Amino acid sequence: MQHFGTADVPKGNDSVGLIKVYVWFGIAAYRRYSSGSGYPNVSLSSPLPGIPKPVFAAVDGHEQCETKITTLENGLKVASQNKFGQFCTVGILVNSGSRHETKYPSGIAHFLEKLAFSSTAQYGSKDEILLTLEKHGGICDCQTSRDTTMYAVSAEVKGLDTVVSLLSDAVLQPRLLDEEIEMTRMAVRFELEDLNMRPDPEPLLTEMIHAAAYRGNTVGLPRFCPVDNVEKIDKTLLHTYLRSYYCPERMVLAGVGIEHEQLVACARKYLLDVKPVWGAGTPANVDLSVAQYTGGMVKMDKDMSDVSLGPTPIPELTHIMIGLESCSFLEDEFIPFAVLNMMMGGGGSFSAGGPGKGMFTRLYLNVLNRHHWMYNATSYHHSYEDSGLLCIHASADPRQVREMVEIITREFIQMAGTAGEMELERAKTQLKSMLMMNLESRPVIFEDVGRQVLATGKRKLPHQLCDLISNVTGSDIKRVSTKMLRSKPAVAALGDLRQMPSYEHIQAALSSKDGRLPRMYRLFR
Amino acid sequence: MKRKSNITSLVGSRRLLATQAANQVVLNVPETKVTTLENGLRVASEDSGLSTCTVGLWIDAGSRYENERNNGTAHFLEHMAFKGTRKRSQLDLELEIENMGAHLNAYTSREQTVYYAKAFSKDLPRGTTLNYLEMLSEIERERGVILREMQEVETNLQEVVFDYLHATAYQATALGRTILGPTQNIKSINRGDLVEYITTHYKGPRIVLAAAGGVSHSELIDLAKYHFGNLPAKYKGEAPSFPLCNFTGSEIRVRDDKMPLAHIAVAVEAVGWSHPDTIPLMVANTLIGNWDRSFGGGVVSLFAVRVPSNAGSPSGVDSSSYSPFVALCQNLSSKLAQMACQGNLCHSFQSFNTCYTDTGLWGLYMVCEPGTINEMMHFTQLEWMSLCTSVTEGEVARAKNLLKTNMLLHLDGSTPICEDIGRQMLCYSRRIPLHELEARIDAIDAKTIKDVCTKYIYDKSPAIAAVGPIEQLPDYNRIRSGMYWMRT
Repeated sequence: MQHFGTADVPKGNDSVGLIKVYVWFGIAAYRRYSSGSGYPNVSLSSPLPGIPKPVFAAVDGHEQCETKITTLENGLKVASQNKFGQFCTVGILVNSGSRHETKYPSGIAHFLEKLAFSSTAQYGSKDEILLTLEKHGGICDCQTSRDTTMYAVSAEVKGLDTVVSLLSDAVLQPRLLDEEIEMTRMAVRFELEDLNMRPDPEPLLTEMIHAAAYRGNTVGLPRFCPVDNVEKIDKTLLHTYLRSYYCPERMVLAGVGIEHEQLVACARKYLLDVKPVWGAGTPANVDLSVAQYTGGMVKMDKDMSDVSLGPTPIPELTHIMIGLESCSFLEDEFIPFAVLNMMMGGGGSFSAGGPGKGMFTRLYLNVLNRHHWMYNATSYHHSYEDSGLLCIHASADPRQVREMVEIITREFIQMAGTAGEMELERAKTQLKSMLMMNLESRPVIFEDVGRQVLATGKRKLPHQLCDLISNVTGSDIKRVSTKMLRSKPAVAALGDLRQMPSYEHIQAALSSKDGRLPRMYRLFR
Repeated sequence: MKRKSNITSLVGSRRLLATQAANQVVLNVPETKVTTLENGLRVASEDSGLSTCTVGLWIDAGSRYENERNNGTAHFLEHMAFKGTRKRSQLDLELEIENMGAHLNAYTSREQTVYYAKAFSKDLPRGTTLNYLEMLSEIERERGVILREMQEVETNLQEVVFDYLHATAYQATALGRTILGPTQNIKSINRGDLVEYITTHYKGPRIVLAAAGGVSHSELIDLAKYHFGNLPAKYKGEAPSFPLCNFTGSEIRVRDDKMPLAHIAVAVEAVGWSHPDTIPLMVANTLIGNWDRSFGGGVVSLFAVRVPSNAGSPSGVDSSSYSPFVALCQNLSSKLAQMACQGNLCHSFQSFNTCYTDTGLWGLYMVCEPGTINEMMHFTQLEWMSLCTSVTEGEVARAKNLLKTNMLLHLDGSTPICEDIGRQMLCYSRRIPLHELEARIDAIDAKTIKDVCTKYIYDKSPAIAAVGPIEQLPDYNRIRSGMYWMRT
């Protein structure tokens, strides 16, 4: 074989002319040296000879933006959104997650996530499933959260029939073989190990603050399988659970980039009158409890002095997360809370990215820019169908934990103050742009359509959400913040906690006028 | 679908359709329009009618064009991008960007410097108002930021290992140096160095203004003319030469038994961006695949497509190769993944194919417990040898499908598309239409893979970089002797 690498090297002194000359000579040169084997020896800089002329699609102004929804006779909803391109994302969302594990050992949802797309009635192994998908240029994935499990496939539009049939099989007819469950046990153990080893404490803190905010119920139940439960979960248990929760009324088949009628036809074919492998459903056993916000504190004393996996040390930090009850995503107040969360913003004291990452949010301006010893201050908003949690994560040296807690409690108190017109407008614009930018990609649209339809039976379109955001006023922010501050705090703390204030003091700070912790009079400091 | 019916009517020329129908292919994606300005700057865009867009400058200049003394300048310059200009203070610029809900970002790789903005389409004109010759205030403050970034990079072991890999594979050449540059350079780089770098490298023909999402090509041309129309096209004196970078099979070992895991990269010399063998090497790369033990049996992660807005990794390791989207795929058909999974041989591995203009690195990055290094290395080389000698049509067919899928699925959202346009315009001076890329992949069979892999892998001396508890890593000669098979 000949070496052609040198022929098409654009040199550093390229002017336009030169580039063109290279390309032009490129073809001739390659033809001359062509080795005659099946694979064309043509530089990627020149078009392949004999390649057909492409006819490109054109944009006709507005994307067709309507979300169409059909409910089948068995209660399953089919929702679709059309979109440009030769690919579609289709999947089944089930109203099932760790919050539904009240009467079961925690970890079932975690197991189901890992077991997804393993062998089914039709397909002998996960590999067979992947092979079938590959023929349609497809990939699959399953993700579970506290309240929803999503099985999704992205593939060529023309493979839709196969995709829906495969999804139906993966969700309703899994074999759950012993060896697959054994593999899952191992993967779950590895993931738990990695979770504790990772320098980024965010997933762990999120888990802890949920446990603190909703003690022992619904969304407060662990999202990750506790180590002790890994051996307890088996096929019988999974079947009992699936029998209650995986029923058509609790499912949505959502699709992006396909015709609605086509999706409905596939749904009728593969998801109507199908008997799942675990037999008739027992929807009577569904846990209908509403999230009970309790507040409280979860602490984990952990030596964080050497979390670096390499030779470069990472400074020892103590992490805290303080949260208050916000609202469910079904309430009107959800939008002002989302704006408030954007207005708080924040991030790491050192993070990649230029302007646009929220440099003028309150947690940057009031916290990170003023207190250079703080490593992180970030606002998060978790919202579910019956409750929600607005929380701030902060981290600093263990010796400054008390100071850090007070800075955060003061920020909470100030939320109920008057929001500046500029910062409010900025937060609203940023929330809208974040929404629209996320919705550029298919899997995100899929998730948005699916989740909304699963929770409400309909979908608020992006432009409707943008209108709602535009209508938020300063008094809305004040109103929701004031109401939020009446709830009991939820606190998570991780690391060296010797300087951590007591829960009562944090509570006192959050019910005070200025957010200050009660003064401590100690003889010895 | 309403849009689809519009496609044919757009073509207009009925005659063409009638006579050439057999030789046409319909792509349900918008066209990439390319215009070259008088000074050689190229404007390339794909308009998909979204209400948001990504627009950016892709510049053929990175750390490769630096020498020992000014190594780090390109990256320093990247940091100066959003620091305001003489007309506008940094604060004003930042406020304006944040108030319109836009994002600015930048990254530097060894061969490219990229500045881009994401914004609502209606704000497009305001997103392109960077002026690189006026932004050199605040140099001193940025020094501290870069030194801090360096610390951050050093805690990312994958970046550390890849820097070592380059240092050994391209020793004594420009590609061997890091993108950030050594500490003493960061401390000493001054305004003069930055100005010199700009005047030497930021020439019209080496710059592409790329855009995707809701963008009007003609509006973009006007903006390009207005903001960058007076950039020089030619050199006054001698043009800077393109530095040659030879590959040397060699190794760097940094043993540290206190670390819990070993991080190892092994690579052979592959080819540059536009070389025809790049595509077979990418198929081979997909065949080896990626794996992480917490995925268990391993499933492709569809939702990993959600790239955070600041995806440009600080030193640009990702952006310089196809790895970002190959990394999305957990390849269960990969035999190496099956072995790693069954034998518990590693925590994760990742096959990579990093391309530069005239050279490239093809290899594997692995993270292992100290006791499994030897075995993992053995099976890796076993797989490489079987690529060269006995890979089957079935395996190749699957890898081809997977590669096509990953490429197509990656092009979702305005930022990945804009990145693709910018990079391809710099690397190939054109945007390769999807169907041509597919045709090139389709033309590959098991024989192509065997031929190409034999050419670049078989009996070649690899470059190795290893950090951590690596006592078990075989010595170089033993690894070298695993690069061929004594069979009759």
